[in-house]
Amino acid sequence: MAPDINFPASLPGDSGGLSPGVWGLQSLGVQFKQVQKPDREKEAREILAQAFQAKQTVFPCGGGTSLSAGVLPQSVDLALDTTGMGKVLDFDPLNLNLEVSAGMTLDQINEFLSGQGKGFFLPLDPPWSSRATIGGAYAANSSGPMRLRYGTLRDLVLGVRGIDSRGREIAFGGKTVKNVSGYDFTKFLIGSAGSLCLVTSVAVRVYPLPDASSVCDLVFETREGLEKFLAALRSSVLLPSAVVVTGLAGGPGVSDTAGIRFRVMIGFEGHGLAVERQNRDLLKLAGEFGGLGGARTGRDMMIEGIRSAVDPVRSWRDPFFLRISVPIVEGPRIFVALRRLLHDHGLLGKAALCASSGVMFLYVEGVQEKEAGDLAKDLRDLIPAGSGYVAPVLVHRGLLQGWGARVEPSLHQLAFQPIKERLDPTGVFPPIL
Amino acid sequence: MERDQILKKLQEIVGAPNVLWKEVDLAVFEYDAGLDKEIPSFVVFTRTAEEVTQVVKFLHREGISYVARGSGTNLSGGTVPLNRGVVIELSRMNRILEIDLPNERAMIEPGVYNLTLQNALAPLGYYYAPDPASQKVSTLGGNFGENAGGPHCLKYGVTSNHILGAEVVWPNGEKAWIGSKAVDPPGPDLLGLLVGSEGTLGIATKILVRIMRSPERVLTMLAIFKNLEDAGQTVSDIISEGIIPATLEIMDNMMIRAVEESMHAGYPLDAEAVLIIELDGLSDGMEEQAQRILEICRKNGVVSTRRAKDAAERADLWAGRRGAFGAVARLAPSYLVCDGTVPRTKLPAALSAVKKVGQKYNLAVGNVFHAGDGNLHPLILFDDRNKEEMERVHRAGMEILKICAELGGTISGEHGIGTEKLEGMPLVFRDSDLEMMQNLKTAIDPKGVCNPGKVIPRA
Repeated sequence: MAPDINFPASLPGDSGGLSPGVWGLQSLGVQFKQVQKPDREKEAREILAQAFQAKQTVFPCGGGTSLSAGVLPQSVDLALDTTGMGKVLDFDPLNLNLEVSAGMTLDQINEFLSGQGKGFFLPLDPPWSSRATIGGAYAANSSGPMRLRYGTLRDLVLGVRGIDSRGREIAFGGKTVKNVSGYDFTKFLIGSAGSLCLVTSVAVRVYPLPDASSVCDLVFETREGLEKFLAALRSSVLLPSAVVVTGLAGGPGVSDTAGIRFRVMIGFEGHGLAVERQNRDLLKLAGEFGGLGGARTGRDMMIEGIRSAVDPVRSWRDPFFLRISVPIVEGPRIFVALRRLLHDHGLLGKAALCASSGVMFLYVEGVQEKEAGDLAKDLRDLIPAGSGYVAPVLVHRGLLQGWGARVEPSLHQLAFQPIKERLDPTGVFPPIL
Repeated sequence: MERDQILKKLQEIVGAPNVLWKEVDLAVFEYDAGLDKEIPSFVVFTRTAEEVTQVVKFLHREGISYVARGSGTNLSGGTVPLNRGVVIELSRMNRILEIDLPNERAMIEPGVYNLTLQNALAPLGYYYAPDPASQKVSTLGGNFGENAGGPHCLKYGVTSNHILGAEVVWPNGEKAWIGSKAVDPPGPDLLGLLVGSEGTLGIATKILVRIMRSPERVLTMLAIFKNLEDAGQTVSDIISEGIIPATLEIMDNMMIRAVEESMHAGYPLDAEAVLIIELDGLSDGMEEQAQRILEICRKNGVVSTRRAKDAAERADLWAGRRGAFGAVARLAPSYLVCDGTVPRTKLPAALSAVKKVGQKYNLAVGNVFHAGDGNLHPLILFDDRNKEEMERVHRAGMEILKICAELGGTISGEHGIGTEKLEGMPLVFRDSDLEMMQNLKTAIDPKGVCNPGKVIPRA
C-alpha cells in the first residue's frame, strides 16, 4: 500500500470523526463551519437544496488526494464528505459496466471487481488509489500509468448522476459505450473539481482480467539511451499497458543526467503468448540501447511494480504534489530538468514519468511559501504556457498564491465563467478554474 | 440589415466568388443526409480560420444564425440551416497541416476527409482510429461535430477519444485554442463537450488528433447465420468472454442483397445475417482467440464461417459494409437511418422489437449495425413522395428510439440529435438535465446564433 499523505495540521480535539478528505481540506488552509456526510443521494439533495436556499457555499470532498485540482477557497460554509456514499449500485458483467457511488475508493472498486466471476478490473490507477474515490478521481481527472492502454476517465466513463446547485437530480450518459444524445456533460464534468455540481455516482466500463500480465524492470545509464529506447518502443508493434520512468540516484551516469540512472517499469497484459513474446522482444530492444533488466510475470507483480513507481516513496510532510504534462518526446528531458530543479532548490522529492503519454507526477517535501513561489516561476520557465501544463494536485492554498491562471484566460472568459454563472448562479460550489 | 447589405459584407470578407446567393445554388445546401430541409440565405466558402472568425463576428453582431458544414453527410438534420441561416462551408479548409509521428499527433483542417488522413498515415505505418462508414466523403470537422464512430470504435473508442486539441471560433467570433500536444489541460473537459455538440457551441478550424501505430496483424472473418438474433447473441457472447475484437458488424438479408447487387462484396445471398469479426494486434495468441470465437459462433448455430484470405478479400468485405447505406438506393428512393444504442446483451430483444415495428407500420426495415457497441442502424425504406408513408416512417422511427431507451440504451449512438430526434430527448433526459443543457448553450451562445434549433428540444 502507498505511504499515506501526512498533512501537517493536527486534528482538532473534537474532530476525531473527520474523514481524511475533510481533514485534508482543513490542512490545506480551507476553513469551514460544518461538515455533512450524507450516506444516500436523497440526503445529499436535501443538503444542497438547503444550501441553495440559504445561499451557503459547499465544498465536496472524497479521499482528499486531489483537493487542489480546482480552486481552494479561503472558507466555505459546509464541507460535504462524499465517503459515506460508497456502494456498488449495479454491476453488469455481460455488458462490462459498473455503476458505483462517488465515495467508493478505486481500490475498493477493484477489490469488488476481482471477486466477480472470472474477475474484472477498472484500469484507473492514479497515485494513492487506496484512498482516491471514484468521484474525486472524476472531479480531478486523475489517471495513472495504465492510461497508455486504457485511456483516462474520458475513455472509461459511460455516465454520471449528480445533484445540481439547486439540489435537483441530474443524470447524463448511461451504460452504453456509444452515446451522442445531447451535450456530453459526462465528459465536460471531468476535471471540473466540484465547481458545477455534486457527482453522486459514476458508471464506468470495466475489463475482464487478462489471461497473463508481466512487468519488465529495466535500468538505463543515460538519458540518451533512455530516449532512444522509448522512441523505438513507441514505433514498435509492442503494446505495453504502462511505461513508467523514475530516477535511481548515485549511478555512474554523467553529462546532463548528473549522476542519475533511470529505472523503467513496463507492464504488459493479454494473451499468455503475446505477453511472453513482448517480454522477450522488449528486453532485446532495451539491450540495443544499453538497458539492462528482467521480466517478472503475474498480475500482482505488474500492478505492484507500476504502482510503486508512481506512488510517493514515503509519507510526505506538507504535501506539494503536482501533475505535469508535456508532449511525449519532451518527457525525458523535462523529467531530468525537474530533478535538477529540486536539487537546485535544495528540496527533497520524487518524480515519475508516465512515458508515452508525457505525464509526470512530482512530489516535493516541506515546501515553504518563498520556495513555492520560486519553484512555480522556474516551472513556468521550464514549461511555458502552450507547451504543457503544470497542475497542482495537492498543495496548500497558501502556496498557490501568485501561481497565476491555470486555465487559458480566454477560455475562462468565453466558456468556463459564463457556464459557471448559469449552472451555479448563487455560487453554492467552489469557483471554477 | 437588408439582404443585399449582408451579401456585400460577406463578399468583402471572403471574396465575391466564394458566396452563393442565388436560390438555384442555395438549393443544394438545404439538406444533408437526414430528412429535414430548409434553404439557407447564403453559403459562404471560407479558406482560413481568419475568414471564419470575420464571418462569425459579423453574423453574431447582426444576430444572423449560421451553421458550419463540411460534406453534408449528417444523418440527423444537424447541418440544415434553420431560420434560413447562413451556411459556412469549410470543405475548402482541407489541408493536413502536420503529421508528428514521434508525438503521435496529426493537425488537420476541418475540411479534410477522414479517408484522406487515413491514406496519408497508412504508408507511414500509422492510422487514425475513428472510421465512420462515410469516411470517403465525411470531413474530420463533421466527425468532430458529431462525435462520429465507425466499425473500429468498438476497441478504440469514438472521435472524442482521439481529439487532443482544437482551434475553435466561438459563437461571438473570438478564436481560442483548447488542448495541445500535451494531454490533460486543467479544468473541465471542454474538448469532451465540444466534440459531439453538433456545431452548436462553436466551429473547429484546426483539429489535433491522436494517431496510432498500425497493428502487426489483422484477421477478418465472416460468420453466416440463419437468423439475426443468433448473430446478435454471438456478439454478446464474444464480448462477455473477455475478447474485444476490433470490430463486430452485422448486416441482415435485405442489406446483404442490396450490397451484393450494388458492389459484389462476396456476401452469400441466402444468408439471413452476416457478422464481420475483425481481430487486430499482435499475431501471438490471435489464432487461439479466433478459434474461441469460432466455438462461440458454433454454439449460436452459425451456418458457416470463412476468413479473408488476403488484403484484397478483406477490402472487399469492408467495401460492402461501408457501402451499405449507399446500396439501399437500389431498394427505395429514400430511407431513414435510426441510430439507437442498447446494452449489447439486449441486442436480440432490440432486433426482434424493430422487426415488429416494421410489420406494425407496414414498412421495409433493413439492418446494418455496429453490433459490438450495441449501436443499431435500422434503415426504414420509403418513398418521400408518399406523404402518408412518410408519416408512418416518422412514427416507426420514434417507436424504435423508444424501444432503445426502454431497453436501457439511448436515442443516438453516433449520428446526433440534430432536428430529427429532438422529440426523443425526453425519453432519456429529465427536465433538469435538459435545462442544464439549455443553460450551457445560453452561456456560450447567448444570442442563439450558432446552429440554433438543434440538440435541445424547445422547453
